[in-house]
Amino acid sequence: MNRFHWSRVHHKGWALASLFFITIILIPNLLIGVEFFTEGNDNWLHIREYLLKDYVQNSAVIIIFTALATMLIGTSLAWLITIYQFPMRNFLKWALILPLAIPPYIAAYTFHGILNYTGVIQTTLRNSFEMQVNQAYFDIMSIQGAIFIFTVTLFPYVYAITRSFFQNLSASVLENARLLGGNDVDTFFRVALPISRAAIVGSVTLVILEVLNDYGVTSYFGIQTVSTAIFRTWYGMMDLDSALKLAGTLMVLVMVVLMFERIVRGRKKFFDPSSKVRPIQPKKLTGAKAWGVFAYCFGIFTIAFIIPLLQLLRWAFMTYEKVFNAEFITLAKNSVLVASIASLIIIFVALIISNYTRLQSGLLTKFISRVTTLGYSIPGAAIAIAVITIFISLDQYIVTFLAQFNLKPEFVLRTTLIMLIFAYVIRFLAIGFNNIEAGFEKIGNRYSETSRMLGASTLRTFFMVDLPLLRGAIASGFILVFVDILKELPLTLFLQPFNFSTLATQAFKYANDERVQEASIASLMIIFISALCIFIFHRVLDKEAN
Amino acid sequence: MKKFTVILSMMLALMLALTGCVSSTNNNGNSSSQNNGGAENNEEATNEQESGEVNVYTSRHYEADQMLYKKFEEETGIKVNVVEGKGEELMERLNREGEATEADVYITADAGNLYQAKDAELLQSVESDVLAENIPEKLRDVDNQWFGLTKRARVIVYDKERVSPEELSTYEALAEPEWKDRVVIRSSENMYNMSLLASFIDIMGRDEAKAWAQGIADNMARDPEGGDRDQAKAVAAGEADVAIMNTYYIGVMLNGTDEEEKKVAENVGVFFPNQETTGTHINISGAGVTKHAKNKENAVKFIEFLSSEEAQGQFAEANSEYPVNEKVEPSELLKSWGEFKEQDINLSKLGENQQEAIRIFNEVGWK
Repeated sequence: MNRFHWSRVHHKGWALASLFFITIILIPNLLIGVEFFTEGNDNWLHIREYLLKDYVQNSAVIIIFTALATMLIGTSLAWLITIYQFPMRNFLKWALILPLAIPPYIAAYTFHGILNYTGVIQTTLRNSFEMQVNQAYFDIMSIQGAIFIFTVTLFPYVYAITRSFFQNLSASVLENARLLGGNDVDTFFRVALPISRAAIVGSVTLVILEVLNDYGVTSYFGIQTVSTAIFRTWYGMMDLDSALKLAGTLMVLVMVVLMFERIVRGRKKFFDPSSKVRPIQPKKLTGAKAWGVFAYCFGIFTIAFIIPLLQLLRWAFMTYEKVFNAEFITLAKNSVLVASIASLIIIFVALIISNYTRLQSGLLTKFISRVTTLGYSIPGAAIAIAVITIFISLDQYIVTFLAQFNLKPEFVLRTTLIMLIFAYVIRFLAIGFNNIEAGFEKIGNRYSETSRMLGASTLRTFFMVDLPLLRGAIASGFILVFVDILKELPLTLFLQPFNFSTLATQAFKYANDERVQEASIASLMIIFISALCIFIFHRVLDKEAN
Repeated sequence: MKKFTVILSMMLALMLALTGCVSSTNNNGNSSSQNNGGAENNEEATNEQESGEVNVYTSRHYEADQMLYKKFEEETGIKVNVVEGKGEELMERLNREGEATEADVYITADAGNLYQAKDAELLQSVESDVLAENIPEKLRDVDNQWFGLTKRARVIVYDKERVSPEELSTYEALAEPEWKDRVVIRSSENMYNMSLLASFIDIMGRDEAKAWAQGIADNMARDPEGGDRDQAKAVAAGEADVAIMNTYYIGVMLNGTDEEEKKVAENVGVFFPNQETTGTHINISGAGVTKHAKNKENAVKFIEFLSSEEAQGQFAEANSEYPVNEKVEPSELLKSWGEFKEQDINLSKLGENQQEAIRIFNEVGWK
């Protein structure tokens, strides 16, 4: 009774703040939603007749197989690293997040570079062994190839989120399972997987959303998906209405995915009921088993990270004289600056919303937490259009306002970084939110309830109790958002101010002109900076764990 | 703990800054009357702001271009500000920004795009004797809303061992059954292909153009994939005997740093099709002054500079493109492929027929 009472009175600020952010995210979604139900024009009929089935089918095949593959690889790696001690485990523990540093479209260009006719493999076979191979076996530009690229670049989402969940499992869970006679494989399937369902499904959902939004990989490989179709219709046919309808179709796909997630994730909250969590101590493996586990983990790391990195390095050596100059330092600075500002804002907003949705239950909060992830479902270019429209009218408003006071009217917002950062927040809030929501779910409500019962306000509790407990989730959320923004392409291309580029747009610029070799240095810088922060934050996380 | 308080207060400060703008967004988002009021003020504002600048939206990302911008700055003292992006995206951005745009010049690498920019009323007419003299009439818009700056030819590239040039004649011939499973060309999503088919719609009419697209789609050695360079590689690898691609990329491969790509480019021949008939398809990069340019004079000066002999020589040498200025010679490499007869159509047609071309591609299943 008492609890119900204070929750009503004291959460108003949180509720208002959450609703405010939600409104902002909803605007572009509503635009697309409304358009979806209007009557289609000739183009739309044409698209429906000739293309839509292929688009949806291709998108569906790619997301289903990418989801399965990332889930399998991500969770198995997370589990092995959590419960076993084996050679290079401490290195692999964080290194397996590194493939996230490689943007999927860069990976696509790189693997194509390795495998194609003038790539290192075929060239070696040809020049050293005089072997001509069947091109079909080396053709990565197919649906299977796209699934491969998405899997090797996106599995770290599943790995990182699931591992941080496993790591915080109490050792007693594992011990109980073993006491009941299960071996490690049993324990994985019958205990670890079921209780980490929410984390796994949440992270796989992120992967799916990322794939649905992709434009770079599928357009380079020539695969018709719903998101490549949006661009084709919008720019090729100059038909924004039909493009928005396709975006609506994409959102229907996203809804299906999210609903599926809700069903699979279920309602239960899993957290350890005992007050002291004794973390799992990894079991030392020896002999063949140890090397087997090592080979699996290191093999995936090699394919997903080392091989593309070596190829990029090779290209970098071929081109650095031409490409590397002082401009690159500026690019790196630009990239880091916008990515950190946007990431901080995202984490801040995510904290507010997720704190509110956990304190308050009910339809409204459910709605809020669903909407938060919606921004992630809109194609980057659609967000860009919405944001540019908003900011232009906002600018006009400011000019009019200033003129009333006889001040020099000036456009202050358009083509500034504020616009770009604003768009990043809408687009990537989902990633921060999912992380922090999972963090809240893990720590449960009992600490904050205790704090509240002892008389502290929600705000004080939030600062003194929740935040310190959430440090891990905040750090990992920050990494994922930061790295994602560093790699982001369509939004940045579209909204970047005059004379401002980032490493990602620079890399794309070259790659898009079929000069992938020149793109290598910018790509390497993205990878280097991302890898560096992954390493730093990993150290932070480790310290937290101890 | 302290660390986190610091971080949090930083976030708060940033948030405050952001929420400041966001709340006014909501007040203003739908109010069009205010927009109009603002637009008037906007023009007053810009007249006051006499600036030594020119703002450029461009989809060309070449060092050659950047060097030219620098040279222009040095010669005129006018600063060149650049936003780079894809041509279609920049056009959409211009469209959204309307009167409020800061862009003065729009540069893109396809005549279809230029036409569409004009059609969407994003450009304005320019009277310039310099441009009239430097750029042939055919490569200019009839209302002088855009001006061609460089040319690329879309040619047939063939394997020198398996195919002799005598077997080749026209684009149309490649749609015949004898070329079954021997042709590669990139996806129909590519604007060079849209423009190619658009030119055929103009020359031979929709039905024949569709029959041609159908024939090529049937003759493809594999589903379209990759860029133009990948088509040349497919020919070198023996996957196909001929490819339809731009001369530009052969030039880039030959001048590049990758030995293997050089070999590929050396092993294929360049054939200019339709020499006896309608001529080889060419496309242009070009520039126009935006309708709401705030620095119109600078913009015109800028485009004039790009059409000058000095700048055209740079385009031709550094970028393997054909100059539009007839006083300027193509590079040695381009000359080595020989002279050729160009398609003689008004390039506006490429834009006019673009949508029709996309529909045909979809109907015949050219992916």
